[in-house]
Amino acid sequence: MKTVNLTRRQFLGTLTAAGAATAVEAAEGDPRRTGWSGTDRVEKIPTICEMCFWRCGVLASVKDGAVVKLEGNPNHPLTRGRLCARGNAGVDLLYDPDRLKYPMLRVGARGEGRFKRIGWDEALDLFATKLKAIKAAHGAESVAFFPHGLSARFFGTLMSAFGTPNSVEPSFAQCRGPREVGYGLTFGQALGSPEPLDLESSKLIVLIGSHLGENVFTSQITAFGTAMANGAKLIAVDPRFSTAAAKADWWLPIRPGTDIALLLAWMHVLIGEGLYDRDYITKWANGFDQLAEHVLAFTPEWASAITDLPAAKIRETARAMGAAKPAVLIHPGRHVTWYGDDTQRARAMAILTALIGSWGRAGGILLSTPVPKGTFDLPAFPDSPKGRADGAGSRYPLASEEMGVTNGLVDATLSGDPYPIKAWIIYGQNVLESIPRPQLTRKAIEGLDFVAVVDVMPVEQINYADLVLPEATYLERYDPPTVVTTAKQPFVALRQPVIEPLHESKPGWWIARQMAARLGLEAWFPWKTPAEHLATIVEPMAINLRELHTRGAVPFPGRPYIEDRTADDGVIQTSSGKIELYSNDLKDLGADPLPRYTPVDQPPAGFLRLIYGRAPMHSFARTQNNERLHALMSENEVWLHTSVAAEHGLRAGERAVLENEDGVRSLPVLVRVTEGIRRDCAYLVHGFGQGGRWMRLASGRGASDTALMTRVKVDPLMGGTGMRVTFVRPVAGGV
Amino acid sequence: MARWGMVIDLRSCVGCHACTVACATEWDVPAGQARTHVHATPVVGTFPALQSSVFVAQCNHCDRPPCVSACPSGATSQGADGIVRIDRAVCIGCGFCVDACPYDARYLNPKDRKVDKCDFCAARLERGQEPACVATCTAHAKHFGDLEDSQGAVARMVYEQGAGRIESTAAAVGPNVYYAGKPSQLELVHATFQPRASRMPMAGTVWGRLLMPLMLTVVGATFAGQAVAFFNQLRTGEQDFED
Amino acid sequence: MKTSTVPAHPTPLTADQADVMLQRHLKKHHIAIILLHWFNAIVWGLELVTGVALIASPIFRFAPGWYLSMVESAFGTRGHLLQFHLALGLTWIAVYLVYGVFGFRTYLSREVLQNEIALDDDDWRWLVIRTKRILGFTREALPSQGVYNAGQKLFALMVYAMVPLIMITGIIMTFRLMGPAVIGWAVVLHFCAVGAVVSGLLIHVYMGAVFPEEKPAFFSMITGTVNELYAYNHHFKWWTSMKARELAWERRHDEEALPAPEPGIPD
Repeated sequence: MKTVNLTRRQFLGTLTAAGAATAVEAAEGDPRRTGWSGTDRVEKIPTICEMCFWRCGVLASVKDGAVVKLEGNPNHPLTRGRLCARGNAGVDLLYDPDRLKYPMLRVGARGEGRFKRIGWDEALDLFATKLKAIKAAHGAESVAFFPHGLSARFFGTLMSAFGTPNSVEPSFAQCRGPREVGYGLTFGQALGSPEPLDLESSKLIVLIGSHLGENVFTSQITAFGTAMANGAKLIAVDPRFSTAAAKADWWLPIRPGTDIALLLAWMHVLIGEGLYDRDYITKWANGFDQLAEHVLAFTPEWASAITDLPAAKIRETARAMGAAKPAVLIHPGRHVTWYGDDTQRARAMAILTALIGSWGRAGGILLSTPVPKGTFDLPAFPDSPKGRADGAGSRYPLASEEMGVTNGLVDATLSGDPYPIKAWIIYGQNVLESIPRPQLTRKAIEGLDFVAVVDVMPVEQINYADLVLPEATYLERYDPPTVVTTAKQPFVALRQPVIEPLHESKPGWWIARQMAARLGLEAWFPWKTPAEHLATIVEPMAINLRELHTRGAVPFPGRPYIEDRTADDGVIQTSSGKIELYSNDLKDLGADPLPRYTPVDQPPAGFLRLIYGRAPMHSFARTQNNERLHALMSENEVWLHTSVAAEHGLRAGERAVLENEDGVRSLPVLVRVTEGIRRDCAYLVHGFGQGGRWMRLASGRGASDTALMTRVKVDPLMGGTGMRVTFVRPVAGGV
Repeated sequence: MARWGMVIDLRSCVGCHACTVACATEWDVPAGQARTHVHATPVVGTFPALQSSVFVAQCNHCDRPPCVSACPSGATSQGADGIVRIDRAVCIGCGFCVDACPYDARYLNPKDRKVDKCDFCAARLERGQEPACVATCTAHAKHFGDLEDSQGAVARMVYEQGAGRIESTAAAVGPNVYYAGKPSQLELVHATFQPRASRMPMAGTVWGRLLMPLMLTVVGATFAGQAVAFFNQLRTGEQDFED
Repeated sequence: MKTSTVPAHPTPLTADQADVMLQRHLKKHHIAIILLHWFNAIVWGLELVTGVALIASPIFRFAPGWYLSMVESAFGTRGHLLQFHLALGLTWIAVYLVYGVFGFRTYLSREVLQNEIALDDDDWRWLVIRTKRILGFTREALPSQGVYNAGQKLFALMVYAMVPLIMITGIIMTFRLMGPAVIGWAVVLHFCAVGAVVSGLLIHVYMGAVFPEEKPAFFSMITGTVNELYAYNHHFKWWTSMKARELAWERRHDEEALPAPEPGIPD
């Protein structure tokens, strides 16, 4: 069996250099934040967290080959030494007794979850054999790729070299896709991740469907907390009394699905009362006149009936934005696939942002600063004359062809249209949890010739895999460096291993290289070690590689403000070079060039709209088996309004089963009776009620929102799956 | 010598539990236990006029800590820097201190069955580092410093900006973790998280008030009796021995 | 002249008889007991010194501050002080366990307990009269006593009751067993049991080491023997049983007929 490319000596050499440097140089950041864990001198190695995807800087304390503590890296330009509960609990992922340890081959039927342990050679050979056979019989494009994470890039190269265009990430069609498209159409620039929000300088923060505080992105929380301490005002538009809503100066418990009406009414007030940033709009925007005419009819009174919010409040909050501009932050949200009209809602939010002049301004949304990245001199990827199967660029004209439309690929797999899909290669994605309509996903998988899963934890989907490959955790591997252009201070940061991989797990780069070798695709992997790969990527940045290893990140000067940029600078990359309040691109597609409110279906009698969100101690469905995080929250609860609970005979602490319109029932879930939610909604934290049986802490606890989402509303522009269209009713007495 | 204190700004805090986990991993607190606790008030009011707040608490290293007197073995002590420390080599796990703390800041560690609590990361302070919870706090809500450094952020928040203590009629022991927040928020927090009266378990009360005085009296009386006998012995000489 | 029977009551002795008895020695304590006794004394001394210093809280402590500091600094840290107290305590328990396991029949048999620990009517009367005499209120004669007088028996009874309590509560505290509620009470009971024994110890040490009348008793804890006169005067009932054994032994080894019985006093 081929051993890890980096020899032990090289590895330890790097570690020692990094560690020794860290040990002696400590940090130029706040010196009070670094130092020694416990009483003994330990090595502290910087790397990047992967407990979620914000990629905060982490310092790992390593003693005698074991990671004993994780803390924030003060040298990380974005997170500056702070780290959330999940990041702090990363050691429990590393040493999770349930994590995948060795390659496994399915025995028994798909879904049974019976495996045979095999060696890496056999596993990789099998992978190559299968893929070659499928390519020969059905073409390379019949292999679909479901990636996520930094290491996915290695596999992305592999898949593209293999010849399939079908790569789909849930972060687009199940998450931030609509805002990338909406803001992209308006400002010529997608928001990206981490989105460049200057919360700390905001005078007024507007959260629409963002539950920042329960949704934790470390640096955003820091900025938010700072803003709150500095007396910034807060508007929270949320059907639920979230943590943020409890801090808000105005809580608008909006009727779900009517956000566009509210946004249009706000525009009406800002324009009608002359509260928008006139100079900014004149200088930077096109289409104001059309916008002004469009919003004339959308009065607060009109919106009030639709949104179930008092017209006075709508007016008051609009005026507050006008008064505080331009340091007003309309938070673009992150997971924004709600009702199927999400691109238009994102457009409305972008337009509002432009009206108050906060795009590219302090306290608003900042501009990204490009950072040069090295590339490899690779052979051209083979053509795919059949095109993509997921509908990106075709059925969904505005969908990103880089990130793809996951649900489009599920549909294609089921229908065989435009062509058969025969294999799914899943890397770092949890398809049963992240893609709604799991009943379709299961059906699609069952019809495949080959399913391979590369993952860290044995989530339920491995039961459907033919081949399961254990990847090393983020603490045990190199990944491509992350280059963040969307921060006030752009930077490059490094994920490097702090210990050798445990069990038989392997880093993604190694797995990808091994697969490439067996598929005859070595030409696309000219680098032999991750160090070589890294060196090429960062070469044009002209940084000190040693510094990158010892500090974990290297910053560059940023130019985030619109005043510092010129039109030649490519500041607004729309076709007109101006902010497009009125979108000609949308018009050309036959869609509304200005956002319009269209009513969404309301829950039938006896049903509640299922809304969902996050808890600060968990990330999606990733962390429920983590011992420390599980102890903080072992299961979710369904939030029901007091009167709704009473109606159904439910009391706090009892369990209920949620049943959707298709008769699908959740596991029994604890009931939380509260005044803090609208009477037409039920709320669950996502990621619980997981199936499978390999995770002793996670399996079967709480209720799964995903499992209840048997219906979605697809955004026709970019394919996003609107997920807030599930209606449930609570059934007392559990099972 | 510094007098350490903390200010928790509830305007910033979102109750994310980063502090809980950073502290727990720094000091090997078992999963499910905590040295620093994240709470929330109930949601007060009727929809949509509602109020609620997060609240984070830990050992307050009080001016007059009742836990120090309660500890029979002297494991708990307070330094000149204000930090109340537990010398875990001396803790016998009787739990008197757990009952004594009006803020319920202490917990019994099920692994070694000794009591544990926040010590303001005293070992880290010695190395010039901030407490782990302060360093990690995602919302920049925890502030730590020398209450006697009038130029320092913490002293200013307390003495100039009105960050206040959470005390009650049952317990006014001078906590040195202060809270900043919006007035209505602080009012709600005060109403919800009132410290209780310091308690002593029955064993301690019986011992301190009854059995110890009794025992000391008995021993003293015996000693006195012996002294009288000795005196008599000297007085009467060694006559008894002769018979 | 030889004696053939043992007298029922002590009678006044002539000076010569007393002299003879003074020279003769009876074995009272086995070497194992002697060793255990002094081991106990040392352990108790050290455990008391350290134990008192361990009660440090302002509510519960009774020793002065300088005492606490002095003992603590002798051990370096409070942790070391506690460790010493625990280690010594466990050693003490271990030694007793060995004695208990191997000497169960010797030390804890029914017969031994009845002879050496149980109080009879003589003992009760003795207690009352003795106390009065010590305090100088009377000069009445004392009833006959067995191998241990009533005071010693009372002390032994208390020790037999308290020592297991001290050991068990000590173990509970050392290993922090059964949760804080139980440990809390263990602290209290440990202290009270120790206090009770200390009260008894004060008398025991006084009687043994200071009170001149009992000097032979003190030395018997070193040599293992007491002179016969002392036994006759202070532990008459034991003297009679020892004498009876002596006579029985003589009878077995003496072919000559015994003379008429006389009070068991040799020539």
